[in-house]
Amino acid sequence: MSHLPASQSATPMLRQIAERPTVRGALMRAPLPVKVFGALFVLGFLALNAGIAYVVIDGRLDGQWYDVRDLGVGVGALTDWMRDQGVPEVAVYLTSAIVGATGVLSLVGVWLIIGPWLERRAIAKFQVRMGPNRNGPFGLFQSLADAIKLMQKEVIIPRGADKILYFIPPVFIFVPALLGWAVVPWAPEMTYTDLDVGVLFTIAISSLGVLAVFLAGWASNNHYSLLGAMRTVAMMVSYEIPISLSLLSVAMLTSSMRLSEIVAWQSNYNVWMIVILPFAAFAFLFSSTAEINRTPNDIGEAESEIVAGFYTEYSGMKGGLFMAVELGNAILVGALMSTFFLGGYTMFGLETWIPGYLILLTKIMTVYLFFVWLRATLPRFRLDQLMGFAWKFLIPISMVQVFVVAIQASVLARVDAPGVFVLGSFAIINLSMTILLVRLWASRMSVSTIQQATKPILTQVVGGLRAAEQIRKPV
Amino acid sequence: MIPEEFGRVGILFAIALTFPMIPLAVSYLFYITKIRPQNPDPVKQATYECGVESEGSSWGQFNARYYVFALGFVIFDVDVIFLYPWAVQHAEMPLGTLLKAAVFMGILALGLVYAWRKRALEWR
Repeated sequence: MSHLPASQSATPMLRQIAERPTVRGALMRAPLPVKVFGALFVLGFLALNAGIAYVVIDGRLDGQWYDVRDLGVGVGALTDWMRDQGVPEVAVYLTSAIVGATGVLSLVGVWLIIGPWLERRAIAKFQVRMGPNRNGPFGLFQSLADAIKLMQKEVIIPRGADKILYFIPPVFIFVPALLGWAVVPWAPEMTYTDLDVGVLFTIAISSLGVLAVFLAGWASNNHYSLLGAMRTVAMMVSYEIPISLSLLSVAMLTSSMRLSEIVAWQSNYNVWMIVILPFAAFAFLFSSTAEINRTPNDIGEAESEIVAGFYTEYSGMKGGLFMAVELGNAILVGALMSTFFLGGYTMFGLETWIPGYLILLTKIMTVYLFFVWLRATLPRFRLDQLMGFAWKFLIPISMVQVFVVAIQASVLARVDAPGVFVLGSFAIINLSMTILLVRLWASRMSVSTIQQATKPILTQVVGGLRAAEQIRKPV
Repeated sequence: MIPEEFGRVGILFAIALTFPMIPLAVSYLFYITKIRPQNPDPVKQATYECGVESEGSSWGQFNARYYVFALGFVIFDVDVIFLYPWAVQHAEMPLGTLLKAAVFMGILALGLVYAWRKRALEWR
């Protein structure tokens, strides 16, 4: 353990902190065989992929079950084999569905163990402290320990609560977090169901969360719960419209609501949608944080004013489920953001050589760490600011953008120029239009975009805030 | 096939409902094996309100401003959903449809302006 120059630390406490295990330190001081084996494993996986990709692209082999770049191919091979064995069609269908659903479940399940740890460690880094590091290596088992603790806690059911409705929300709130994964494409063949109305499906599924939240607040029969539920519902329904509008622009430009086709469009033109539609991407990202109740938009569970918001009365594992679903939603939103705006599982040709699901996972983690960054940086917004931001800023500008994109999509379908020039000009037009509209909005709404430099003035006159405001003048 | 695709969604839905029940079931198992305590008493089961006794039921009237936003949501979200079929098809359509869609969206925008002017979007 005494690998660090602990003698340089001044006090015993600092020395103790320096000696605590960290991920980087463990990687550095791992035994040489472990290091070599890990590096060989990662390199071998990538080399195997590249080799298969080379053989397949070279035309010597078709894509087969051994093609690890696309796990859907393996499932296809399994179902083909079952058909050859004379298994009834229903059983084949059920098998492929259950294999896919197990994949989705294991992803979310593993994430619910790793996610809280990652978030707490990242937040701790932002706040210059250690974070969980006691349970297991680097505190990795922290969330497992939390889950076991929550399961052992006494379940308190308030007398005033509705006896039936009280039990539905903790289970039902998980449905949108898991069902949204159905349409996310992980690789060309690796989608659970590639619905042709995928965009509408995601919007519909994300609206389901409102029901569980309001059910929880109403069934608890608690003033805090009801307040939190009302706030959350008002916020969620308001921010659903910017999401619909921004996805409308995406669907319009790609002429498709199938998520795999949206990814294929971006791969085809070698451009990410965030470049062409910067405002739509921003609206989607910000509205999503409101949709999943994450900071800075977690006014519905603002612990400094209304205890825990809509799940105040839920104790033990039921409350734990409400906390867990926030993380599950966060990576779902990351996946949707990556698919719609960041190119999905494609990466300018890299997806031929390494698996698409690894690329998508990397993008999801990037968006997720951006969420963590937001949480560590921004304070919570007030409810009237939030509603005003949705209704007076995001919705009007999104509507203008939708109409401009409609014209652009018609142009794209008719003009026979190379995509680079057309889409490049669209990107420039949209970016400048966004900047113009935001500045116009700011000046019309009398919000100064440039902060006046003010010198702090001590209140010299007794009279409180009003007197202080009167004597404060811009320098 | 559309029923097959949504059948898969249905299977995922069923599994999504069972997934959160697993920890709840384990919690119940702990209760049966006496690991988890369960000693209800009237004070513990009272409605939580930071130490003071809760006044009255919360199943009553609440502020009407939430209602205004819910109305706005219904109007706008349904209309945006109506725009989707047009959005997917319109690139191949004649340019006249763009004008019609502009009229539709203009009416929507008028509604927003009306609500704004009536101060329905203010949080009072």
